[in-house]
Amino acid sequence: MLGQLIVSSLVVGSIYALLALAMSITYKASEVPNFAQGEMAMISTFMAFVMLSSYGLPFYAAMLITVVFAFVLGLLLEFLFLRRAKMPTPLNLIVITIGFQLMLYGFAGWKWGSDQRQINLPFSESKVIFQNDIFALTELNLATLIIAVVVLVVIYLLIQRTKLGLAMKACQQNINASRMNGISANRIMAITFGISSVVGAMAGILVAPILTLDPSMMWDPLLKGFAAAVLGGMKSLHGVVIGGLLLGLVENLFGFYISIEFKSVVAFAIIVLILYFKPSGLFDKHYVRKV
Amino acid sequence: MRNLKTDYFEDLQLFKDGLQLFWSAVLLLLLFALPFFVKTYYLTIINLMAVNVVVALGLNLLVGNTGQISLGHAGFVAIGAYTTVLLLKAGVPFIFALTASGLVTGLFGVLLGIPSLKLEGPYLAIATLAFGLAVTTVIGRMDFLGGRMGMNVPKISLGWTGLKYDQSLYYVIIIITILAVIATRNLLKSRIGRAFQAIRDSDIAASAIGINLTKYKLYSFGISAFFAGIAGSLWALYLGFINPTLFSFILSINFLVIIVLGGLGSITGSVMGAIVLTYLNLQLEDVVEIPILGDALLRFSELFMTATGVSNVSWFLTGFILILVVLFEPLGLYGLWLRTKIYWKRWPF
Amino acid sequence: MAFFQIDNLSKSFGGLKAVDQLDFQVQEKEIFSIIGPNGAGKSTIFNCINGLYKPEQGKILFKGNNLIGRRPDQIASAGIARTFQNLELFAHMTTLDNIMLGRHLSMKASIAAVLGLSFKRSKAAKEELQHRRKVEEIIDFLELESARDQFVSNLPYGKQKLVELGRALALEPDLLLLDEPAAGLTQEEREDMVFWIKDIRDLLGITVILIEHNMQMVQNISDRILAINFGKPITTGTPEEVLGHPEVIRAYLGEDITQV
Ligand SMILES: Nc1ncnc2c1ncn2[C@@H]1O[C@H](COP(=O)(O)OP(=O)(O)OP(=O)(O)O)[C@@H](O)[C@H]1O
Ligand SMILES: [Mg+2]
Repeated sequence: MLGQLIVSSLVVGSIYALLALAMSITYKASEVPNFAQGEMAMISTFMAFVMLSSYGLPFYAAMLITVVFAFVLGLLLEFLFLRRAKMPTPLNLIVITIGFQLMLYGFAGWKWGSDQRQINLPFSESKVIFQNDIFALTELNLATLIIAVVVLVVIYLLIQRTKLGLAMKACQQNINASRMNGISANRIMAITFGISSVVGAMAGILVAPILTLDPSMMWDPLLKGFAAAVLGGMKSLHGVVIGGLLLGLVENLFGFYISIEFKSVVAFAIIVLILYFKPSGLFDKHYVRKV
Repeated sequence: MRNLKTDYFEDLQLFKDGLQLFWSAVLLLLLFALPFFVKTYYLTIINLMAVNVVVALGLNLLVGNTGQISLGHAGFVAIGAYTTVLLLKAGVPFIFALTASGLVTGLFGVLLGIPSLKLEGPYLAIATLAFGLAVTTVIGRMDFLGGRMGMNVPKISLGWTGLKYDQSLYYVIIIITILAVIATRNLLKSRIGRAFQAIRDSDIAASAIGINLTKYKLYSFGISAFFAGIAGSLWALYLGFINPTLFSFILSINFLVIIVLGGLGSITGSVMGAIVLTYLNLQLEDVVEIPILGDALLRFSELFMTATGVSNVSWFLTGFILILVVLFEPLGLYGLWLRTKIYWKRWPF
Repeated sequence: MAFFQIDNLSKSFGGLKAVDQLDFQVQEKEIFSIIGPNGAGKSTIFNCINGLYKPEQGKILFKGNNLIGRRPDQIASAGIARTFQNLELFAHMTTLDNIMLGRHLSMKASIAAVLGLSFKRSKAAKEELQHRRKVEEIIDFLELESARDQFVSNLPYGKQKLVELGRALALEPDLLLLDEPAAGLTQEEREDMVFWIKDIRDLLGITVILIEHNMQMVQNISDRILAINFGKPITTGTPEEVLGHPEVIRAYLGEDITQV
């Protein structure tokens, strides 16, 4: 049983990790926790649904369109709203993302109503593809793990090995200096939001078959993803991934062995406890302003 | 040269001048005369506005003045509401139940404050959010709190006023709200309020001039929660029935929206934000009822969206307004108010 | 026993020794300057004194009491006030409120008491007014009348520096730490600043430790100077001794440092 629990935890955890990574990428760049991340993923998932079900596109075409859509959505948040704030405080920016969240949530409810829908992916959530004495893996489980790993690796390479990644780092370190170096900090920031939105959308598509497709589908996953990011340390990319997996584990083990109802609460309680000792998460240095 | 102003008390008194006193008196009279002129329905709307004012005052103290974010204030309101109901059921007179609700909730505020002392930004956001979530989950599991089903709120004895229950309740809520406004105002003008704002602007400088950060952050959490508790108590009375789903994360967000819309760090802002957003929420709830516009919206929805989902327009608009406020009037309605005042002072030049 | 004394103080960041086994003493009512090139560790000394940083070793003795391990607010109440190199003002508050905050420690009204603030007879109002008078004196002293009711973020830089000085003075400290009070000021403002610092010592009897890059000013104002580099002392002595010291000159890349 424990083996199965651990595998399921890894699957859920990798979805949390994707969301945490999505939040962390933009947080590193802008110091804004993006509360609209979940709704952006939700809308993107609806987009995939429309492409698959209404237009009957093949899976890969639908995915491609969804990725582009998600990317543009991220660009828009940065370009239309965040960039327009004059001398914003962190709270101002948080509120902008909350506003965007409400807008997307309202839009989805308006456009698609509150009917519950089912998204059809080419991998089934019931068909077992692999089984041994210790655990069983469904097609969806396997796809989730594979896609999560691929996305993590791609993001890692993107940030560590490309010019774009270098520019992103330069922006984080000092926006003014990089502007002077001829990197358009604004453009990098917008692209960062675009990439983050795509990562979030992947998580959305992967949870959609487990949950039902409706406007509030991402609330719980996003909270967990956000919590995972905080647990790992918002600015540490590997930290947030570990945070996601850890959270999945704690939640599932507690849910199975003790109480399913309190599993979220306990997960959060543990996070708050950890923050008490490590106020910037497990893997991030606590920053003290120099005077 | 010595400055000419020698009576510094002018800066402390409630009313700046006769004119302000006059308008405040007019407003007060109006509020007190209202129950004799309008239908109960309107009184309940004002009640709701007033309750939101009290939460907003407290939340703004924490967020706007002390610079600590909270995404869990619905949890505090819930604690206040449930404490009141339990005490009323136990036969405790309302005035004590109300006070106790404030104090108990304030204590929870301090308890949440302790692990949050070193946290900033998203870390604090998650800690407070977790708190709000925990409160409703735990309440949902407690049978003596009515679990998920909720509880009826006993009516309090207001017969001695000789008025109808709704009218008396209105007075109770209005009086407490006015007291809350005055208390906040005095607090903010005092050494304690200044210390809060110092922490917001520079915690390092604040500690260097002798402000004990731990103590004052906990004060701020405690007082903020106290207000939420009082508001929860009043809310329970006004609703007559409470259950855990009332106090969801969305409610916490709603409170945050109120103070941002009204104006961070401003009492006038808290009041205006609560009034306007409560009104807006009620209007947008049945947006299709609005003449002409409602019809057009329905047609549009049938063509391009879904007619059943049309009520979701309210979310969309609230979000949009919120963004517009942050982008164009970061001081919120209060900022707008300041500007109009200046404009009228100059008028007609 | 010295009025103020630092013994064997060390503070490092990662591998970097910002302050390295430093000793010095300051006499009562002295104006004592600390000089050294950028990154020498001057501000770090102040941050250790006022409790923002926890040094790895050493003692900081003020009137015979060790300050190590105390919080910044406790050190403030022991009688040490400071200003900051890059201004740490309460930006969204007025000049008046900023300086009133300097009175925080001497005001005692409790939460319950301040609720009565709007009544003239209340204890809180009386206390508030009493301290307000004190603050108005400081505003007079620093000629900040025109800035009194303005938000400090709207003030010119020179005025902001003065507000910070005023806020520190409002604590009525026994020891005042000034971190580059004249940096970024115009020639005229700097001359005024010299004048005020001398007054602070002469009229108010406050001991001053000063960090400053402008050597003319340091020469003109200091009783004694400590020169440091890489967190270690080079020499201590009168302005003539220190500014003429060959190693001090070398630390400043051989420039004629009275012209820096
Ligand atoms: N909080 C900190 N974290 C890491 N390094 C620090 C910190 N504070 C200071 N330092 C480092 O310690 C060294 C000394 O810094 P300090 O600010 O004391 O220099 P300073 O003499 O005041 O220089 P300046 O004249 O430029 O103000 C510098 O190398 C600085 O980068
Ligand atoms: Mg320095």
